[in-house]
Amino acid sequence: MSSNTQNGGAGRDVAVYICLLILAAIQFVISYQNISVGSMFERMLIVAIIEAALAVLFFMHLWENRGLRWFVLIFSIATTLGMQYGWTDSYRQLLGVPWAH
Amino acid sequence: MHDMSAHAAQHGAPTSFIRKHIFSLDHKVIGKQYYALALVAVIVGMVLSWLMRLHLGFANFAIPGLHLLSKNGAPGDIMTPEYYLQLMTMHGTIMVFFVLTTAPFAAFGNFFLPIQTGAEDMPFPHFNMMSFWVTFTGFIILMASFFVSDGPTLGGWTQYAPLSAVGAVAGPGQGTGVVLWAFSIAFFCVGQLFGSLNFITTTLDMRCKGMSLMRLPLSAWAWFITSIMGLTAFAVLMPAAILLILDHVAGTSFFVASNLVINDSLLPHSGGSTLLWQHLFWFFGHPEVYIAIIPGMGIVSHILITNMRRPMLSHRVLIYSMGALAVLSYMVYGHHMFVSGMNPISSLAFSFPTLIITIPSTIIVLIWLGSLYGSKLRINTASLFALGFVSMFISGGVSGFFLAQPSIDIMLHATYFVVGHFHLVMAVAAIFGIFGGTYFWFPKMTGRMMNESLGKLHFWLTFVGTYCIFMPFHYLGIAGNVRRYQAFVDDYLIPLIPVHKFITVAALATGAAQLIFIYNLIHSRFKGAPAPDNPWQGTSLEWSTATPPPHNNFGDKMPVVYHDPYQYSVEGASSDFIMQTSSESVHSADEEK
Amino acid sequence: MSQADLTMHGHPGAGVMSEPAFSVPAKKMAMWLFIIADTATFAGCLVAYGFIRNSTPDWPRPFHSITNVALMTFILLTSSLTMLMGIRSAEKGEKSGAFRWILITALLGAVFAVLHIREWMELLDTGVTIFHNPFGTPLFGAAFFSVTGLHLLHVTGGVIALIAVGIRYMGGRYKADDIEVTGLYWHFVDLVWMFVVPLIYLLNMSH
Repeated sequence: MSSNTQNGGAGRDVAVYICLLILAAIQFVISYQNISVGSMFERMLIVAIIEAALAVLFFMHLWENRGLRWFVLIFSIATTLGMQYGWTDSYRQLLGVPWAH
Repeated sequence: MHDMSAHAAQHGAPTSFIRKHIFSLDHKVIGKQYYALALVAVIVGMVLSWLMRLHLGFANFAIPGLHLLSKNGAPGDIMTPEYYLQLMTMHGTIMVFFVLTTAPFAAFGNFFLPIQTGAEDMPFPHFNMMSFWVTFTGFIILMASFFVSDGPTLGGWTQYAPLSAVGAVAGPGQGTGVVLWAFSIAFFCVGQLFGSLNFITTTLDMRCKGMSLMRLPLSAWAWFITSIMGLTAFAVLMPAAILLILDHVAGTSFFVASNLVINDSLLPHSGGSTLLWQHLFWFFGHPEVYIAIIPGMGIVSHILITNMRRPMLSHRVLIYSMGALAVLSYMVYGHHMFVSGMNPISSLAFSFPTLIITIPSTIIVLIWLGSLYGSKLRINTASLFALGFVSMFISGGVSGFFLAQPSIDIMLHATYFVVGHFHLVMAVAAIFGIFGGTYFWFPKMTGRMMNESLGKLHFWLTFVGTYCIFMPFHYLGIAGNVRRYQAFVDDYLIPLIPVHKFITVAALATGAAQLIFIYNLIHSRFKGAPAPDNPWQGTSLEWSTATPPPHNNFGDKMPVVYHDPYQYSVEGASSDFIMQTSSESVHSADEEK
Repeated sequence: MSQADLTMHGHPGAGVMSEPAFSVPAKKMAMWLFIIADTATFAGCLVAYGFIRNSTPDWPRPFHSITNVALMTFILLTSSLTMLMGIRSAEKGEKSGAFRWILITALLGAVFAVLHIREWMELLDTGVTIFHNPFGTPLFGAAFFSVTGLHLLHVTGGVIALIAVGIRYMGGRYKADDIEVTGLYWHFVDLVWMFVVPLIYLLNMSH
């Protein structure tokens, strides 16, 4: 059972942790911006994806597992993207047209 | 490649009856348990289809004793319209989940995947055991809905909202029946999650020395690909089922729109979306049909190669095509929703991948046909059923070209054309794969041969009978016969009643032919001729171990693999086949480096 | 299913090859696969929430204060850090150190759960339930309680798993690798929260 987690060291963990805290704070700041829900959603989602990527790659050590990295990322991203077909119907229910803006 | 000494015996052979036969950790016993579950389920499902066909073919036909099953559903032994729909829903649910997913994937996969990869067992035997018992619980919950006050749900196996989410006001069984249905499905999802975890880790981590991924037989590849699909498909169905349960028991309205009036009463729900259910359900539902059919493809390829005595035209292309089917299956689910009021742009977007998915399907079929062409196929029951699978898959697949196009689908959707299409391409084809696998692997699973004459009789009756049942469905559909009608009273439907009568007779006869199979199965299990270790002169690992395999699959000596899976008719070899474990060196064009 | 079952039922030392595919031992592989499946589950829930959130014109915004959710986020993120400390201690063979970090992680998880339940109670007091919402569409309550409930279920399972694995690790039955596998699950729970916070809380905040 070889383990690759010795890579990096505790210093990196703390650095990533601080990054995550900052990114989380940015999300809270975004919520105070005076913008539409749509653009707020977009900004928050981008920050959340960056956060998730940091957590997956460094907290969960996917960075060191080259083969697993692509397997997990491609698999999860493809599946989650596949679910996004439904949005057009969501907009139609609201506005009667396929796209909101 | 791998260090076999790390393979200490995982768990000793069990001694107590309970550990050996009921709560067994042995993947082989679990595989047989899944097979038994599928057998019970398929019998129930088939009887349900008989009842439905009798009702359709001969209107108001009194089925003796039916009132015992449901007093309200069949007063005076005559089925009510609602009861017809309830039986139809149960037929669909049982068949799709507990037969077509359970038998080719969970049953044969559990038994043969570890053996074909050269593993002693799956890495998580407790999970494996739980996977079966959770699935079994799901089946019991589903069966229980027959016996609750107003019977099982009548919403169809797809349980379209809002009628599935509003409760008993939508009809008998739409209250408790749907809740039980959703619980059953949620259990099934958990079971498949455990199963998939085991299948994938077995394939990736448990292969024996020398067994590279490309040296895995096609059946093992098919189970591997299927388990990857099962991992995410069932994981999405589970929250959908739970949200449906919440709509029932917690008063939410995820799937019910505002201001809905049913049976003249305004429902208190507000704000949900009926299309949301379809999006969630079909996101699972379309991968599901490939989960049902891909194991069949693998099993059939395995059987055909063994009986053709030569490998497929291309091992790799067949694997890549199955993989492409798996990937594309997540991108086409909307073709079930062309007439659901889905955005027309989405219809277009779903139509393209749906047409593209025919390309890997066609490649697979062409590889089968091209490999069969000119081969000296050994005719036995297993190879006959494999041919039957190819035939059904082509016949059912061709109608898919029509349905993939929204403009044509608007005409044909929800008619018997669709029923004929999916029964041939997914249901009967997968059943033929199961039959083929049974005749092929029964000797290895039980240590006894099945009766070949009875098997061939069974094949011909089933083959002809199946076409007699499902081909007329296409005609009915084009004539405009909508599915799920329980009686045909409209002017344009009355002329079609003789066709329905014919189908009913064919269904009863084909169903009766299955008794031959059941007899053969039970008789051979106890009285069949003892099976040799390698009755079909196969090359893959399951044929290099004893019959039936010992507790740790290979006895004292773990296998070492030297060859590609299908080294048949190799020039210069000492016999017409070279086992994967044989150290004989060959120089064949197919040998992967 | 939670982490506890995975680690309790797997056979330590069994099925692990010297050179498995991707160089990942079976248990870790299984946990990654579970995480992929769970990602699909959460994505399904969040997409369902987004679908109805988007199509409801008068979606309510009942949250007024970010204090509680910010505190919860901070606690959960910190617990990921302490989990990492535990894994590092375990890999160095410092058993009691690793155990201490694991207990701290479990404690932080428990505090998170308590804060979460307290927040639920406050919402319930104002009249928001899974099927009712005084501020607008009842779907808000339905979506909020089911998505956060699913996450809370994962946190609770994780806390129990952490304690169980920690105790068995002290007893010598589990190794450092098992701690690492448990850690994967814990980080995943943290990761999901990073999506739940903006989508469920911050988008429904009125200032």
